[in-house]
Amino acid sequence: MTAGKNFRVGAAVFRIKTAEALQYNVAWLANSLVGTFWGLIEITVYTVFFTYANASYVQSAALTLAQTVSYVWLAQAFFVSNAMMGMDGEIVGKINSGDIGFELCRPMDLYTYWYAKIFGGRFAPLVWRGLPVLLVGMVLPASYRISGPASIGGLLLMIISMLAAMLLSVAFNMLLLSVRIGIAWGDGPVNMILLFAGVLSGGYLPLQLWPDFMQKFLLFQPFAGYMDIPLRFYVGSANMRDAWQILVQMGWTAIFILLGRAVMKSRLKSVVIQGG
Amino acid sequence: MNFNSALQYKGWWIMLLSVTFAVVTDPLGTVLLFSRFGSVGEWSVARIIMVYAMAVTSFGLAESFLRGFDYFPGHSIRTGNFDRMLLRPAPLFTQIAASYFHIHRLARPASGICAICWSFYAQGTIITPTVVAVVVCGLAGGFILYSGAFIFTSGVSFFTIKALDWIYLFTNASYQVTRCPVPYMPNALKNVFTFFMPMLLVSYYPASVACGWGEDTWKGWVALPAGILFLFASWLIWQTGLRHYKSTGS
Repeated sequence: MTAGKNFRVGAAVFRIKTAEALQYNVAWLANSLVGTFWGLIEITVYTVFFTYANASYVQSAALTLAQTVSYVWLAQAFFVSNAMMGMDGEIVGKINSGDIGFELCRPMDLYTYWYAKIFGGRFAPLVWRGLPVLLVGMVLPASYRISGPASIGGLLLMIISMLAAMLLSVAFNMLLLSVRIGIAWGDGPVNMILLFAGVLSGGYLPLQLWPDFMQKFLLFQPFAGYMDIPLRFYVGSANMRDAWQILVQMGWTAIFILLGRAVMKSRLKSVVIQGG
Repeated sequence: MNFNSALQYKGWWIMLLSVTFAVVTDPLGTVLLFSRFGSVGEWSVARIIMVYAMAVTSFGLAESFLRGFDYFPGHSIRTGNFDRMLLRPAPLFTQIAASYFHIHRLARPASGICAICWSFYAQGTIITPTVVAVVVCGLAGGFILYSGAFIFTSGVSFFTIKALDWIYLFTNASYQVTRCPVPYMPNALKNVFTFFMPMLLVSYYPASVACGWGEDTWKGWVALPAGILFLFASWLIWQTGLRHYKSTGS
């Protein structure tokens, strides 16, 4: 199959899946309430620290309180789309039930098909959970409100970086899925890895507030690209000169895709479909 | 029976590990914040861990023993399994509570208790029988309170059929509140979680009295009555729901 056709098929799957996922709005809207609540508590905690802690520590922190507040809201809006989004239940179900046999019969590349499908599913939470949370973040009293982007350039870089982040997180998920083919009890380790990724993506604490000696490592590990790097551009703790960080995201994406394809290929060779 | 069946899956200890991992990572953000900003007034890592551990332990206990109620909306109401339960000659409550039991859920209370012990050690608290009594009483109150929260959500699901995500506000999300040093908490938040949803009564106040952070002693003992009161209110909601129950089956 040519790469061009592969891409066209993938794009079609992506369109269908996006449209389908967008139908499930009520559940996500309810979920956004939880996100809002979560955001409020996080902001309260940060406010307490920024206000009452030793002033010299506060001044030496890489982010200001206003930047952290914006970070929290954006993180709530994006977190589900990348870090917290588990494996695609439908696909895992197919692996567990043996329906993967049908998938293999389709006249298209399985990796591309699943990749497009998962990627398409990522936009619904962004719209239905992310936007309401952001709206709430915009109308709250000043100390809880999200600030505007640091600059127009920063906003543009964030949008580009956000797309890169989604491609990256889907690529990593595909790697996990490929490993998962042929293992019946894989939910535990997979959950652990996803949680690990969530922590390292900055979802629990903006990475720039982690201890200083870890900063180099934190920036170059793959999961910073899930969320932290895009948000740095928005809040202005990274500027135009740091645009190369998007290349870090793309590099990891390429690595995960190559690995994922290789693992899937070797797994599918040995997979045995039972039943008739 | 559920306990034994869970042990048959060879991955069960990995699940145990993964829950433990979740419990450890949860307060990680706050711990790192302390390492960045130093302590806030009198508040150190040990104190936050203490309050958080109280909440997590009691939540974990309730979750372990009433898992069935947690799954109730999705697994029993929506599938129509509940109709079958109504026909069986056994108490409804026991049936639901025992319909699922996940061993790996016990990891949460276990690590919570370890954290409480560590926190006592780190603060140099002198452990007297009174201290133990306050903590145990707080945990018991918390267990009852969170049990009430599960029953409450199940009761609501008679009307909504689907488990709605906002219900997590009352269960999983609520103990996140304990991450904030209470004396610095905005009053509105503090009041909501003291009087409406008494999470702080079962975590902060007993912890405060046990370690001597200067709250009035009687407040440490309110946990148990508050838990029972909350459970009673939840029970009423559950009963109302039950009376209005119309099968989802055909």
